[in-house]
Amino acid sequence: MSKRLTFLTGLIIFIAIVIALGPFFVVEEGEQAVITRFGQIVNVETEAGLKIKIPIIDQVRTYSKKILSWDGEPRRVPTLEKQFIWVDTSARWRIVDVRRFYSSINLLEQAYSRLDDIIESTVRTVIAQNKLVEAVRNSNAILQRTANDIETFLPDTQSEDDQEGLVEISNLLTQLEEQPEIEIGREALSVEMFELIKTQVPNFGIEMIDVVIRQIRYSDDLTDSVYNRMISERKQIAQAYRSWGEGRKQKLLGQLENEQRAIQSVAYNESEQIKGEADAEAASIYATAYNRNTEFFSFYRALESYRKTIPNLPKVLSTEAEYFDYLYDKDGQ
Amino acid sequence: MDIFELIQQAITKIRGYFFKMARGSSNNSKKGSGKPRRVISLFVLLIIVIWGIASSLFVVDETEQGVVLRLGKYQRTENSGLKLKIPFRIETSTTVPTQIIQNMNFGFRTQQAGIVSQFSRDYPEESTMLTGDLNIIDVEWIIQYRIDEPEDWLFNVDQRSKTIRDISQSVVNQLVGDYYINDVLGSVRTEIEELALIRHNAVFEDYKLGITVIAVRLQNIVPPAGSVQDAFEDVNKAVQDMNRLINEGREEYNRTIPKARGEAEQMVQIARGYATERVNEAKGDVARFSAILTEYNASPRVTRERLYYETVESILAEGSTPAQIIDSNFENLLPLLQIDQNNPLGGIQ
Repeated sequence: MSKRLTFLTGLIIFIAIVIALGPFFVVEEGEQAVITRFGQIVNVETEAGLKIKIPIIDQVRTYSKKILSWDGEPRRVPTLEKQFIWVDTSARWRIVDVRRFYSSINLLEQAYSRLDDIIESTVRTVIAQNKLVEAVRNSNAILQRTANDIETFLPDTQSEDDQEGLVEISNLLTQLEEQPEIEIGREALSVEMFELIKTQVPNFGIEMIDVVIRQIRYSDDLTDSVYNRMISERKQIAQAYRSWGEGRKQKLLGQLENEQRAIQSVAYNESEQIKGEADAEAASIYATAYNRNTEFFSFYRALESYRKTIPNLPKVLSTEAEYFDYLYDKDGQ
Repeated sequence: MDIFELIQQAITKIRGYFFKMARGSSNNSKKGSGKPRRVISLFVLLIIVIWGIASSLFVVDETEQGVVLRLGKYQRTENSGLKLKIPFRIETSTTVPTQIIQNMNFGFRTQQAGIVSQFSRDYPEESTMLTGDLNIIDVEWIIQYRIDEPEDWLFNVDQRSKTIRDISQSVVNQLVGDYYINDVLGSVRTEIEELALIRHNAVFEDYKLGITVIAVRLQNIVPPAGSVQDAFEDVNKAVQDMNRLINEGREEYNRTIPKARGEAEQMVQIARGYATERVNEAKGDVARFSAILTEYNASPRVTRERLYYETVESILAEGSTPAQIIDSNFENLLPLLQIDQNNPLGGIQ
């Protein structure tokens, strides 16, 4: 009884020591491990779970199995047209062959510094071979865009006349903003960089997942001149709007003058016709009546006329006038 | 101090209880020497049991999901509630907020969210980008995402928030690079937001990041501050000026043309009035003439003379200018007229 107890106690103590020395180790999800014995790789564990090693003798080094980020500092790089721009790239990669990674790079920091060298030189090469627009734009979609948003600026565009004007100013503005065509584009440049980088890393047990241009900025000395260009561009556009507006105004004023004169002359024409017709009618009325006795008409009309004119004239009358016939002679002789 | 005292008290109490138990049992047993050792082993056992219970329970909040690993290997995902796991760190658990929509800001940071949120806008290195017409623009945006697959989220990608930031920046930069600065400032905002959302999700799906981006929202989009912004402002002003000029033209038109039409109508109406008057006058004159003519035909001589005398009478009647009568027999008379000063020509007044 007592012997068995001591045996059991001894066994428990032995097991406890063995466990403490660590024949077991845990590979967490998202990790992988290399087991080395006297500097040599004896095993690689890529699946998570409880694993076995020889205590004390075997060393375990764990690496991430996850997608890792690489983030370089923004670099000042010249483009094909020798414009200096800041290019900020980032990349994603992972350790796919942990055995090779261990033997060729060993430490993660080392991997980063290798990637720094490879990616930065590749970015520099690719950017230097291309124009700035190729890195900025991704497609030629911009060429299809007309300045259609101008429409919203115009007060109203219902009349046909205004539609014409719209086309006019659209042409004016698109001329100002005409863009060159691109051949490659940003995404394709990224792919080009990626392909170049990819060929340089497999020896390290690394797989590149992607390389993307995170940001492109003008270098500081270039920024000012770009600002000036932007300002002058805006000025041109502002001027286009203003002068077009002025032109429209003048056109409207001309149209006004035209219509005003037309209206006035039509009215004049009509009124003179009306008057003329009336005059003619009156004349014919008079003529018909007066022709019935022209001699009496002469007499009558003369009297009418005298009645209107003579009272206000200074008068010196001769007694020879028929009116005075009876003045000196009661018989009027 | 209090806590230590409490613990001490508790320990003494428990110890007392075990001693009692031990004494009670020892009364019935023969072995008295085994008492203290048994007490210690019981005490150790109790600690192990408490630890075991504590490490086999975990709480998952309503907003979270819990991921359970057994010896480092993914085992299962638990929904909210009080959950069990194998104790003693054989199974470990991590909770991931899967229901909460998370925000990420670019170009600015929320300093203090609240009724009046305070922002600091100090991240030009994120917001400065180039447009398709090679202009510089400042774009601020946010993305909202939710973790869909907690195990993907935990195990597939290292430096997750950095990865999200990098991709979001790259996507928005690329999209902005495909439009005119004018469009980015105005009409294509929503278009960019929609395309950005699709691309974000495509990339993250590719990485198996375990998140879904719900929204990409462009916030403040402005040209570079200072004189460039002023120039852009001036374009807006120019548009206003253009509209003002056109409106001025229209105003002038509207002021003049309706009036001119009215005046034209007036002219025609006056002409019509004249015509009616003229014809009616003619008719009246003729009617009067005809009436007199009828009378004249009846007795020509008398009528003629009557008309003559009536007329001369009215001509020389009171109210007309004074008349001089000169005898026709005065042969050497020099007519001497007093010329009216006010009417030197002696014409009709």
